[in-house]
Amino acid sequence: MRITCPHCGARDAQEFTYLGAADPQRPDGMAATEAAMVDYVYLRDNPAGPHRELWYHGAGCHAWLVVTRDTRTHAIASVEPAKARKAGAAA
Amino acid sequence: MSGQPFRLTSGGLIDRGRTLDFSFDGKSYQGHAGDTLASALLANGVRLVGRSFKYHRPRGVLSAGPEEPNALVELRTGARREPNTRATVVELFDGLEAASQNRWPSLAFDLLSLNGLVSPALVAGFYYKTFMWPAAFWEKLYEPLIRRAAGLGRAAGAEDPDHYEKAFAFCDVLVIGGGPAGLAAALAAGRSGARVILCDEDFRLGGRLLAEKREIDGKPASEWLAATLAELASLPDVRIMPRTTIFGLYDHGIYGAVERVSDHLPEPAPHQPRQRGWRIYAKRAILAAGALERPIVFSGNDAPGVMLAGAARTYVNRYGALPGRETVLFTAGDDGWATARDIASAGGQVAAIVDSRPEADAGRKALADKLGARLFAGGAVEGTSGGRQLDGVTIREASGATASVACDLLAVSNGWNPTLHLTSHQNDKPVWDDGLHCFVPGSLPAGLSVAGSAAGRFTLAQALEDGARLGREAAADAGLTPAGAGPVPATDPETNGLQPVWRVKGAKGKAFVDYQNDVTDKDVELAAREGFRPVEHLKRYTTLGMATDQGKTSNLAGLAVVAEQTGRTIPQTGTTTFRPPYTPVAIGALAGHHRGKDFRLTRLAPTHDWSREQGAVFVESGQWLRAQYYPKPGENDWLTTVNREVLAVRSGVGICDVSTLGKIDIQGTDAAEFLERVYINGWKALPVGKARYGLMLREDGFVMDDGTTSRLGESHFLMTTTTANAGKVMQHLEFCHQVLWPELDVRLVSVSEQWAQASIAGPKARETLRGVVDSAHDISNEAFPYLAVREITVGGGIPARLFRISFSGELAYELAVPADYGDAMMRALMRAGAPFGITPYGTEALGVMRVEKGHVAGNELSGQTTARDLGLGKVMSSKKDYIGRLMAGRPALIEKDRPSFVGFKPVDPAQRLRAGAHFIGIGKATVMENDEGYMTSVAYSPHLKHWMGLGLIKGGAARIGERVRAYDPVRNGDIVVEICSPVFVDPEGARLHG
Amino acid sequence: MAETATPSRWLPRRPWEGVLADGHFGKADETGVTVQTREALGIATLITGEDSHAALDAAMYEHFRLSLPRTPMAVRSGSRQAVWSGPGQWLLVADSREGFRGDLAKLAGLAAVSDQSDGRAVLSLSGPRVRDLLAKGAMLDLHPAAFPVGTAASTSIAYLGVTLWRSADSPEGPVFEIMVARSMAGSFWSWLSASAAEFGYAVTSRRASSADRG
Repeated sequence: MRITCPHCGARDAQEFTYLGAADPQRPDGMAATEAAMVDYVYLRDNPAGPHRELWYHGAGCHAWLVVTRDTRTHAIASVEPAKARKAGAAA
Repeated sequence: MSGQPFRLTSGGLIDRGRTLDFSFDGKSYQGHAGDTLASALLANGVRLVGRSFKYHRPRGVLSAGPEEPNALVELRTGARREPNTRATVVELFDGLEAASQNRWPSLAFDLLSLNGLVSPALVAGFYYKTFMWPAAFWEKLYEPLIRRAAGLGRAAGAEDPDHYEKAFAFCDVLVIGGGPAGLAAALAAGRSGARVILCDEDFRLGGRLLAEKREIDGKPASEWLAATLAELASLPDVRIMPRTTIFGLYDHGIYGAVERVSDHLPEPAPHQPRQRGWRIYAKRAILAAGALERPIVFSGNDAPGVMLAGAARTYVNRYGALPGRETVLFTAGDDGWATARDIASAGGQVAAIVDSRPEADAGRKALADKLGARLFAGGAVEGTSGGRQLDGVTIREASGATASVACDLLAVSNGWNPTLHLTSHQNDKPVWDDGLHCFVPGSLPAGLSVAGSAAGRFTLAQALEDGARLGREAAADAGLTPAGAGPVPATDPETNGLQPVWRVKGAKGKAFVDYQNDVTDKDVELAAREGFRPVEHLKRYTTLGMATDQGKTSNLAGLAVVAEQTGRTIPQTGTTTFRPPYTPVAIGALAGHHRGKDFRLTRLAPTHDWSREQGAVFVESGQWLRAQYYPKPGENDWLTTVNREVLAVRSGVGICDVSTLGKIDIQGTDAAEFLERVYINGWKALPVGKARYGLMLREDGFVMDDGTTSRLGESHFLMTTTTANAGKVMQHLEFCHQVLWPELDVRLVSVSEQWAQASIAGPKARETLRGVVDSAHDISNEAFPYLAVREITVGGGIPARLFRISFSGELAYELAVPADYGDAMMRALMRAGAPFGITPYGTEALGVMRVEKGHVAGNELSGQTTARDLGLGKVMSSKKDYIGRLMAGRPALIEKDRPSFVGFKPVDPAQRLRAGAHFIGIGKATVMENDEGYMTSVAYSPHLKHWMGLGLIKGGAARIGERVRAYDPVRNGDIVVEICSPVFVDPEGARLHG
Repeated sequence: MAETATPSRWLPRRPWEGVLADGHFGKADETGVTVQTREALGIATLITGEDSHAALDAAMYEHFRLSLPRTPMAVRSGSRQAVWSGPGQWLLVADSREGFRGDLAKLAGLAAVSDQSDGRAVLSLSGPRVRDLLAKGAMLDLHPAAFPVGTAASTSIAYLGVTLWRSADSPEGPVFEIMVARSMAGSFWSWLSASAAEFGYAVTSRRASSADRG
């Protein structure tokens, strides 16, 4: 596979580390419940189709990226910095 | 009589001026430059080249290409011996040595051919049926027997002396195959300015043009070929790679290739690799891999002398070698007739032409007459005779009568299968074409198009037209302006008329579907009768299509037999799909440089050379080599050395390299807040100039890593991590920063490499340090107490950082200097500490001292322990949120009975403890239910003069004073130990603060 | 009492010492690749918030006449280079360590500045076969159309992290600067020396000086 890092350009997937689903949001703070945290830590969808997932460009710019990849074909629809996504969501 | 009795006196693309000596099964022969091993053997009249896999039947050369199922040989000798090489693609070189495989004691006289007589036991599924019971017989009886009787070549026992490489290439257009379609494609793309890579597995470009007598634009095709190659060579961004096989197609336009750099030489030239594994990144690719000819299933179709008709043409036209003197042609279409024509024009006799089609037209009749060949229209070959060398065939005539014809070559023509393997590497399925009688590419992987025969467009005109069109299209797709479409060169006419014959029924002998695996039509029928009808089941039950050729000549015939058996069509029966690699790839080409000491990366500390000078024994710690201990002359075992090192530290002073610890610079106005969230303990109150122990969890509540983190400024911290986890922690912190809390003002960077760091430990540590620290800095106990951190200078102005931290429990410091000065630092410390008997110590002594002090390390941070398990529950802050907080509080993780951290000592002080031993109550049975925990670390304390252990046991510290068994069945250990405090030495910490 | 430390006895040991030796190696009579060590450079990481580098931009220009690149590029002004290494992250590379600490002091407060001078091992690679050499490790398209002079990349070669940039094109071929972690210099050299041997390669180790503008 190749992933087009928004900062570095198209790179071999060997430069990246996979983490998992990008959408679960950590229940931050002292008010977070154990149930919510269990969801966040353990429960994941396993879609056959587009999947938003986190990849780390460890051999390149060290950016965490949200990659939208079709799990059936490995076709990648978009790659965006994880940081920008959170900032965008907060705005 | 000179050799090469079957060599034509002229013609072919061999260099008769260059004669090459080679040997096969110890006998010497000669061939010419441009030969393959197969063509040279045929030129010498060698027909019998191997024995078959199961029945040890004599076999000869079937094909002239990569699909060869029979002519597998061991190439070279000694450490370079390579099994299962296909003689049909082995380029002849001077001094080549080859040996046949799978025969004993000799190729001509093979005792195990008796397997053929017991063949009823070796039918489809024989492994499953015959060797079922008892299971214990497998290892001792069945497997050795099968391995002796069946199998392929032998691997070399010695290490491969050659080296291999990996390489990466990028292009706009990758062209796979250097035949007419591929060359036309490369030319069209190259003329458009595209960066083109053209790969061909052959050592000579041209594909079937090398093997056929064809005309392009009214001239011999060789002229077009030469002109095309010359123009391609003139284009600077076109790269031609012969001897290079594209073996796999992967996601996003990545192609795997292997370049046989030196396989055509006795051994690689100096500094050259044997092979090079390529990863090619292509914007677009054109598959122009041609087609593979199909055999026909009939009794005795495996006799040496039965050959694919196209291959026979190749040997005549390309190699000037006559594969037989008396030829019978068995053909199902027009294509085979070209073989009869070419053999005759080269001087061979064509005894008979068996054309399975009912009617022969006037032209074919006239040609048969002209060649002097008997014509059997509507006939079929139904048997062969001759054992080790074909001497005749039995023909069933259209009338039903049979005729025998003497011959030493039977050329078989049954149409071609597109070489579409790469099109299905991404799960796309080929589709059946009724008109062409073959599978053709169906849906295609992104970025790939297929030209010429590989697409089922079998004529030369189609190949040239496809290549030119797809080459331009690919260039356009890659963003270039395609060159103008000139006229496609004209070719001489060709006809097809194929009516394939899948099987000739009725004869008694074995009729092979898969030569390489000795699978007969009867095996396939049997499997179908027993219910193994889906193609994938059939393959696994009969082994059809397995091994080195992956069914290139057999898959379709297998499908056809099952289709016939089950009354279905071929496409109803199944399809042929392929996975990488297209042809076998040596592991060396995939590993490249990374074998032996380069199997993986080795990292060396800046003090490494100094440690080596001191006689260190090194140990791998992750990627690092660390000094394990420093033996002195006369110390014959590691424990003696380690004991000396420990005692030297505890009584005087020692130094140890700790440069390998991870060091992360954390800056920003929110740096303290960030640490609050990633560590379980508090950081905001840590004063500038102080260090603190920190422990971090994974989000699931288990311990991830620990280390000491120092506050260098209000918004500047320096985190240390364990050596093993440095990379993982950095990635985790980046995750926390970028994904979880991008709103925090934090900047992270690893500075692990910048600093050389040494631990100076022991009662004389301070006095030693005074010899290296510039005198302006006060390092007295009062001015620089435990956990103090300061930026200082050493050696007269060299910037340094001094930390008063201790892993050994002694008065200890860590001194960090820029890595260029790491070596000098060790030497300066040795000089400064000389009056106190300063002693270098390694990770073993460090480990002993940390066990003596009950500090946790890698064995305890196993990923299965919580902070509470390790006795660090009190460190967990209850006032803030941090990674892992909630999950660490789950009931199972805080349950009282969970094994937790304590020390252990043997009741009999003479007994040795073993890490990994499990704790079982005294008098209890040694069963899982009674398991109470296990020993994580042990060490011998030269201070206490007995072994001590750390471990996790149910009930933990509440059981101090109790005795349990440490049960170690792996090493026959079963001793009684006493549970004790994990701090064995100086529990008050008096030494630390001295 | 221990003797007083004397500056003269703290001799620096550079990352390539003991790793490589000067001379001509591999294929005889050909020098496809020329390797030059770049010793004692000043190197520092500069990290700002992704969108808060205006002040650093200004200071870099004012003090060093360097315009921080926004994309993977390396720019040079005089004896200093700025190499993009991530969003809001750069490497400042000075040909010499003379005055480098002073340089960094000028940037204090404008970025997180971390001196990395001793933590990196740097080579300058040139010669007609340098791209063929790099193609044996770098999964990067280094064709001039894709990677012209000034382009930089952080990537991995032979499983170890590198930062490389094309600093110039000379008549003998392109010039690449390549930077690896100090601890990995030995493993990197093992790959490089094995890979360059077929082209023939020459090694010269040279200390940087103010006259040395590689």
